[in-house]
Amino acid sequence: MEGIFIKILGAFLTAILAFVVGMLYGGLRRKVIARAQNRVGPPIHQNFLDLMKLQAKRTNIAHGFMGHMAPVWIIIAAMTVLMFIPILHGNLWFENLTMKGDLIFLLYMMVFGSLGMALGAGQSGNPNSAMGVSRGLAQLVGFEIPFFLALIALMIQFNTTSIAVLMDHQEATGRWIIVDNPFAFIAALLASLGMFRYAPFDIVGAPAELASGPRSEFGGKYLGTMMTGGAVFAFIKLVMYVDLFLGGAGNNNLEGLAGTALGLVELLVKTFLLYMIPVFIGLVTPRFRTEQAIQFFWKWPTFFGILAIVWALYKNGTIG
Amino acid sequence: MVITPVHYIIAPLIAAFAIPLLTKIHKDAARVVPGIVLFYNVIVSFVLMKHIREHGMISEVLAGWQAPWGINLVVTPFTGYLASMVSILGFIIWLYGFRFKRTLKGGEIKFYEILQMMMIAGSIGIIITGDIFNLFVFIEIVGISAFSLTAFYRSRDGAEAGFKYLLIGGFASAFLLLGIIIIYTQTGSLNMAQIAERMPDVPQQMKIIALIFFLVALGIEAEMFPLNGWAPDAYSQAPTPTSATFAAVVSVAGVYALIRVVYTMFDVEGVNNYLMIMGFVSMLIAEIAAISQKNLKRMLAYSSMGQIGLVLIAFGIGSKLAVFGALFLMLNHGVIKSLLFMTGSYFIYNTEDKKIKSLNGIYKKLPFVSFLFGLGALALIGFPPFSGFWSKFYILMSAADEKYIFLIIGILLVTVIELTYYLRVVGRIFFAKEEGEPASHKPSVNAIIAMSSLALFIIVIGVYPDLIMPHIQSAAEALLDKSNYIQQILSLN
Amino acid sequence: MEIIAIILLILLVGSFLTYFVDSFNKKWTGTTAFLIVLITAGIFFTKIKSGYQFNFQLAGLDLQWGLTDYSYYFVYIILGLSVLALLYSIKYMEGKARLGYFYGSFILTVLGMLGVVISQDFVSLFFFWEIMTWASFLLVIYNAYYKIKTKGIKYMIFSAVGAYAMFTAIVFIHVHYDTLLISEAIAKGAFNFEQYIYIPIFLLLGFGIKAAVMPFHVWAPPAYAKSPMSFTTIFSGAMSKMGVFGIGLVFTSFYLSSNPENFFWVRTILGWMGGITAVMGTIYALIQTDAKKLLAYSSVAQLGYIIVGLSTGTQLGVMAALYLAVIHAVFKGALFMVAGAVEKQAGTTDMTQISGLIRKMPYTFVVALVSIIALAGVPPLGGFVGKWLLYEALITESNNYILVVVVFFSSTAAFMYSYRFLFGLFLGQEEKETEHVKEAPATMIIPMIILAIIATVAGAYPGLIFEPAAKAMQAIGFQDVTWQMSSLTNVWGDTTDLFLIAMLIFAVFIISFVFLTLKGLKKTRYVGTKDISTSGELPKEWENLTFQLDFFKPFERAAAPLYKMDMNKIWKDLGKNLEAFFGFFRKIYTGNGQTYALYIVIFLVVLLLFRDVLFS
Repeated sequence: MEGIFIKILGAFLTAILAFVVGMLYGGLRRKVIARAQNRVGPPIHQNFLDLMKLQAKRTNIAHGFMGHMAPVWIIIAAMTVLMFIPILHGNLWFENLTMKGDLIFLLYMMVFGSLGMALGAGQSGNPNSAMGVSRGLAQLVGFEIPFFLALIALMIQFNTTSIAVLMDHQEATGRWIIVDNPFAFIAALLASLGMFRYAPFDIVGAPAELASGPRSEFGGKYLGTMMTGGAVFAFIKLVMYVDLFLGGAGNNNLEGLAGTALGLVELLVKTFLLYMIPVFIGLVTPRFRTEQAIQFFWKWPTFFGILAIVWALYKNGTIG
Repeated sequence: MVITPVHYIIAPLIAAFAIPLLTKIHKDAARVVPGIVLFYNVIVSFVLMKHIREHGMISEVLAGWQAPWGINLVVTPFTGYLASMVSILGFIIWLYGFRFKRTLKGGEIKFYEILQMMMIAGSIGIIITGDIFNLFVFIEIVGISAFSLTAFYRSRDGAEAGFKYLLIGGFASAFLLLGIIIIYTQTGSLNMAQIAERMPDVPQQMKIIALIFFLVALGIEAEMFPLNGWAPDAYSQAPTPTSATFAAVVSVAGVYALIRVVYTMFDVEGVNNYLMIMGFVSMLIAEIAAISQKNLKRMLAYSSMGQIGLVLIAFGIGSKLAVFGALFLMLNHGVIKSLLFMTGSYFIYNTEDKKIKSLNGIYKKLPFVSFLFGLGALALIGFPPFSGFWSKFYILMSAADEKYIFLIIGILLVTVIELTYYLRVVGRIFFAKEEGEPASHKPSVNAIIAMSSLALFIIVIGVYPDLIMPHIQSAAEALLDKSNYIQQILSLN
Repeated sequence: MEIIAIILLILLVGSFLTYFVDSFNKKWTGTTAFLIVLITAGIFFTKIKSGYQFNFQLAGLDLQWGLTDYSYYFVYIILGLSVLALLYSIKYMEGKARLGYFYGSFILTVLGMLGVVISQDFVSLFFFWEIMTWASFLLVIYNAYYKIKTKGIKYMIFSAVGAYAMFTAIVFIHVHYDTLLISEAIAKGAFNFEQYIYIPIFLLLGFGIKAAVMPFHVWAPPAYAKSPMSFTTIFSGAMSKMGVFGIGLVFTSFYLSSNPENFFWVRTILGWMGGITAVMGTIYALIQTDAKKLLAYSSVAQLGYIIVGLSTGTQLGVMAALYLAVIHAVFKGALFMVAGAVEKQAGTTDMTQISGLIRKMPYTFVVALVSIIALAGVPPLGGFVGKWLLYEALITESNNYILVVVVFFSSTAAFMYSYRFLFGLFLGQEEKETEHVKEAPATMIIPMIILAIIATVAGAYPGLIFEPAAKAMQAIGFQDVTWQMSSLTNVWGDTTDLFLIAMLIFAVFIISFVFLTLKGLKKTRYVGTKDISTSGELPKEWENLTFQLDFFKPFERAAAPLYKMDMNKIWKDLGKNLEAFFGFFRKIYTGNGQTYALYIVIFLVVLLLFRDVLFS
């Protein structure tokens, strides 16, 4: 009974953590970009203010059933994926359902939200939304390939498809996978640029061109929910990368609250550093057209992905 | 025994002379009497088949002269099978054509019916005769009837086709006669069994030259490439029942003659390969030619040549299974091709020309006929559950037994060609947008009965081939058992 | 009389009966056909159990009919889907011409398929295979009017080549192994790729063509798209699975084999053909503007996955193939029904003509949504299970890492056409032209909903399908197939707990629906699709805001090299050249009597000259 209680509480804790961190990172990004452009920029907590404003709004008009459902889909996707990602290694509070779903499941589940939003956007009838969806899906096919290659490399190098087992492995050997298979990390990192949809891959919701694309017909609570979902997803992606390549967090010997706190700090540091990579790249690059983006992903990242597989095969003794 | 093989010949001959007289009494006699005669032939067939199943083969000597001098008619399970088949199909074709020619003037209908009957009777004669000179005579009877029937419509094209047929038929007669003369000088006999018995003593060169003359002459009758130039024109210009008769009866008799000569009389090596190769070439060229035809009857004619090619291939393979398959295919081809010609002719009646492209959507006008045509097309290609499947199956099975893998692949690829052009026509009939007026020529009752009975045969044999297989089996055995044939005939007389 | 013969007889007589009912009263044709197949299914499932056998002699051959667990598995697909498709068909075909023809051929097709799976000897197999082929040909050309020459005939030619390849293999099995029974042929090693390797290759060719494997897939998209939708449901859902059935049968030797190295080449080649089929099917699906064609290409792609699964030869892989065979029948059946419903109600499935049907056909949309999610392989629906099994089989068991990426590429790109289908028909701008459209009648909706429910339940309890699939696998040479009711485990011990996932998603759904959307649903009013924020201006009524053409143009540009390889054109050119070649040969028959006479003389002379070569 207590176990279930801890689980439910843990799930809430995880959700709140993801929400807060995700929103803060979003604010941070705006700040960083502003500073780089020599502006003062909004405060870091600006995203919370935006959200509060949006939640306070009343929605009067709707664009049909799928429009209503889109935020729900995003929440489903965000919550489900969150439950299956190990936040802190071996921590009871953040264990959630980490052993119950593997990487393939996560890969597919992560698409769920985007598809839901795409459907909602589609029903609005706004051609900009549809265009954004079309570009988004095409780009998805671009970056998923190197990402998947990187994942396969990890799977065959460590004979597992479970993210938790990969973390166990890193803790046991004390070596991060970025060292064991650097090519996989490079491929995945390049893919992550597309996943975050910051410049140069921001054509999907290109503000000046498509009126923010898929989201353009959403407002009020729904837009707020989508923002929340986006923030949680940013957190999820970062944690996933940390878990996969950077040894995860929470691998300390401290007991109780102190251990958890230290783990969280470790997690924040790692995710923050990782997050800054797409943010900074986005700062200094212009925008790719969709086909350029796809072709980019099918060139170097894919090359590194294949290299990662070869490396993995070499490492586990299948070849060489 | 009351009924003897000679009834096959006598009845039509008497009728042929009687019909002009009987028409004086009643004008419909010209149409009815051939039917009675042909029906009588069917009865004769059944009685004889029953008899040979119980008592073995029959060899009837005419005019009391014993073989080798006399003229003898032989009914073995093999010839009996073919004769029954021909007479039954002949009867059905008569039934189909019974009211077909009503529009013609009385004088012409008389000749049409007589010629048609003589053609069928002559074919039966070819099959049951045991003597090569008589074979020649019967071939001439069939030929002359066929030439006249080809030119029956007295149109320009008909006359041209008839003349071509006559020209090439002339070659056939000449070469056949040459072959017979060589054989007669060498063996001193005209009786097939006796020739076969004496054949080992004939000098090899003589034997081969005689064989070549036979092959060319009978190859013309059997529509073998490149000797079959007459066929497309003749098939397409003759009245439809005659076209059906060409396919179902005359070509069967032609193939029979060829096979009888090759299998029974001669004992030459290499002739099997010759049959197989020429059969395949005939089939290939005929089907290739058929695919680009624009005229329905010509297309069916080429298709017939293709089928006969397949029969020859099977005879070329020569194993028991192959012969069985060939005989089965001859039956199927006779039935199915008759059905196709019969149904096809209704299409032609209801269109301005004989072109395939004017068949568009004719299903709406003639639903039942279209249905039967589709059935026939599927059966001819060899789809189960129709009878055509089994004959093709056994032929390919026998080819596989001899490990002719490329032959099998070749046959099957040619079948794909065949399927293409047949299904194009079927597709047109059923699915193209229809043009023109509603049908003015609905099929008459007798035609429907004739066509339905053929269709019924196709389906029943397709689902349950065991019904007919024992007969074909014994026919195949009888053909292959050459020594028994010689012995029996020479001792029976 | 044997029960199986009675069942086939019911179908055969039923086919003719339906034909005649049509000429008697057109209203009852569909119902009659439905009842006949329903009764057949009823008798079959109650009277015949797996392991049933019936030996008899026909045409001098020993024939055997019967059911193994493997064939029974396919019977579920065939009869289950047929019953639903016929129920759907009653209203779908209402008012169309030649109903007797349609239903008669339909029942014959069912007869053929049923016959194929109950055949335990090759002659019956071929026999029924051909019945199935021509009966389905009649249905393919049902709608074809002017296109018979290209569409229908293409289907038939490919099918015939396949069937005849199979037939060649069969006669040589008879010659070399002296048997016509499938089980004996397997026992004697006919498919072992050791001695007569052309036998299994020809058989695979025959089955592969039916399963629309590259490069023989060109018949499939037009045939699927042009047939009446209620038949395409069966065509793509069940009949293409006959090819899968056959490949599985041939591969039984592989699965049983003690030295699988013999099969390396065949399984690699077949696997890659499957993979390329999946990619080509997918990328062509996403550029279609006709929803039916889109689904047709998608079917080809899905069959590619199944082939990949079969070719792995591992437990998960074959399980994936068999699972996908069922789930593909389910969701693709539902999708074709959706397309048919739209066609029936709106008059066309051209996505450039219609859009925004969601409010007019809500039930149809829900079915489409569920089926598309299953097709895309997104959890928690049934499609995901198949994808998971396939990937895990390729990664963990068969070590085919490049192929798995190819498959993954295809199934990711499938998101695009999945969205395209939903967007094109149901979402987007509501057009004036579609204002009159109403929801489809109940008898069309019910079978769709049944299929959607199956696809949903399979997502949480795939064990319901695993159970017969495991039995089927044991029948084709696997031992101790393990499966769980609602979770997936690979050989490395990693699990995915589907029940948990489904529950979680359901819980989150309920919570967020109640707290977030329910209020919104009540308090807001619908404003139509013209009331949108385009740069702050309200678009006018006459402004065209529909975005349907060149939907994935950026992707097309990015993947341009993939589109260059057009198999269709290659085959078409081949056909044209062949006909030209034939035309040349036809000229042999000049129509001139003198030429013919000359032929005869030349022929005679040639024979006489070469008499010593020819005869001896």
